[in-house]
Formats: sequence, structure tokens, C-alpha cells
Amino acid sequence: MSLTELAFKLNAHTSAEDTRFDAVLSANGVLEVSCSNNEEFPINIVKTDTQLLAITPLFNLAEVQADKVDELNKELLFISPAIPLSSVGRQGDTYILFGAMALDTIFENIVHELEVQAENTLDVLQAVEPLLL
Amino acid sequence: MGILKNILTAVRGGASEVGEAIVDVNAVRILEQEIRDAESAIGKAKQSLTSLKASEIKLKREIHVAQSDIGDYESKAVQALDAGNEALAVEVAERIAELESDTAEKTAEHSSLSAQVNKINSMIRQREKTIQKNSRELEKIKTVEQLQKATSTMSTNFAATNASDHRVSKALDRVKKKQANWEDRMEAGEWMAEEENNDDLDNKLKAAGIGANSSAGASSVLERLKKQSGQ
Repeated sequence: MSLTELAFKLNAHTSAEDTRFDAVLSANGVLEVSCSNNEEFPINIVKTDTQLLAITPLFNLAEVQADKVDELNKELLFISPAIPLSSVGRQGDTYILFGAMALDTIFENIVHELEVQAENTLDVLQAVEPLLL
Repeated sequence: MGILKNILTAVRGGASEVGEAIVDVNAVRILEQEIRDAESAIGKAKQSLTSLKASEIKLKREIHVAQSDIGDYESKAVQALDAGNEALAVEVAERIAELESDTAEKTAEHSSLSAQVNKINSMIRQREKTIQKNSRELEKIKTVEQLQKATSTMSTNFAATNASDHRVSKALDRVKKKQANWEDRMEAGEWMAEEENNDDLDNKLKAAGIGANSSAGASSVLERLKKQSGQ
């Protein structure tokens, strides 16, 4: 499924949990998806030759209390295995939450992944909020 | 080549800024070229393999025919000897020797061809491994590139807002408020549905003539007033 097709289907879809999606494909080929259960932290979807990557940028290194960076990194490493379907990582100075799906993942499972990722984002941010500025 | 090691080296070297290529473009080109070269080599190898295999099968068939002919002539030579025809037996023996010599040559050639076929098969497998390995490496590079692309959009937004101004906390508060509003609306919806159910029950009771006194209306009031005035 192309990202254009995925955007079209997401915009017309309401999930069983009553989640709606606003999906916009940017000029540089990134599909930005806002889930109604967490509109503040959109999910960026990109496609490689073998997988769909769903990435939620969480915060920048500059937003972490300077003396708490090590603690934050340890906490993220610790909670990462406990987050369903998603992992946390860092891309440049940006901390991210991400999930990967095979290219032949069916639409319903993509929707599920996005819903869960939107919820995971809130869980992770609430967990590490005391370490942020 | 451990591409992940290269990526980390690039990051340690400071290639972590948004928009900066974390992986050398040349490395990607080299990997892609290696994959194309390996695919091309496999294509050529498969063509020559087909031709060699055909020769190998043909030789094997000829060897079998010659061995069968040798057996046949040996039987005929014995028959000639039994009949006391030594001269004919010698002639047959000479033919057998020719066939055996020819078979020996073909057998050697067949062994050589078999070895070549095995060698090419092994080369194809090796090239296929190279393709798979390079494809996996390339996928890692592309994943990092795509991650960088997907992250850069939002990172620009981070920079536009004041990063030190409790951006995450404020965003979380807004989400919590929205969720609270949603829960309030859900609760209101449930209350409304319950009220409507109660109305339904009252209507059913009224229709059944139960508890209808309270809504008897003006006629019952007039009746009561008449009784009070003694009429």
C-alpha cells in the first residue's frame, strides 16, 4: 500500500475505539498522522524497501534538564521493552518513539499500531516528564 | 562491513545535525553498485551453467551408450571365440579397445565439466549471499535516512517553539483536558440515555393505567372542588 493510499484510507476511517485520523503526505514523502486520542504528538510514517516506519518525535535534548540526561537515557532503556509494539530511540538530538511494520501489513493492523503508538507516546512522556524542562 | 558501526562513527564525529547526511552517499552508491554487479554476474553465470549442464548431460548419455556397446561387443567376441573364429574375435577386440579409449576420454571430460558446474553453482550461491548481505546493509542505511527525514520535520517545529518553555508538559496538559472533556461528554451521553429510558418507563406505566392519577388533569380538580362545595 502506498503512503498516498494509506493517507486516503486513514482520513476516511474511524477505529473500533472511536479514534479518527488526520493524515497529510508532505512534499518530502513523510506521512504525518494525527490521531484523535493524541493530537499533540503526531506520528510520521515513512517507507523503506522492506518496512513502514512510524515515528513520533518526543522531545529534543535541549528540553531535558542538563543534569538529568544520563538518568533519562537509563529510564528510557529500562522502559523500552515494556512498551507494547513501540521502541524508544534517539535520532540526532531528538528522542523518538517508533514502530516498524512489514510492507504487507494489513490496514487494520496499521491502524492498531498507530493507536497504540499514540497512547504509548503519552505514557512515555508522563513517565519522563519530571526530567524535562 | 558493519554499517551500524559506520553510522555510529558518523554520529560520534558530529554528524547528528538535522539534515546532515549521517551516512556517506558514496557508501550507498558502492553498496548499490555491488548489488548490481553481483546480480549481473549471477545472470551470466546462470547462462554458462545452462550450456555446461547441457554438455555434461550429453557426455553422460554418450558414455552410457559406449559402455552398453562395449558389453555387447564383449559378448559377441566370446561367441566368435566359441565358434573358433579367432580372426573375427581379434577384430571385435580392437573395436572394444577403441570404445574403451573413447569412453575413458569422455569420462575425464565429464568429470571436468561436473567440477565446473559445481564451481559455478558455488559461485552463484556466494554472489547471492553477497546480494542478501548488501541488501540488508542498504536497508539499514535507508532506514536511518528515513528516520532522519521523519524526525527532521518535527525537530524544526521544536526549534520554532520555545524548547525550554515546558512544551511537553503543556502539550500533555492539553491532551489530558481533551480526554477529560471527552469523558465528560461520554458521561453526559450516558445520563441522557438513562433519562430517555426513564421517560419510556413512565410512558409504559401510564399506558398500562398505573400511576396515572397524578396527571388526571383539570377534570379531577373540578370534581374535587365540586365535592368540597357540596354540589
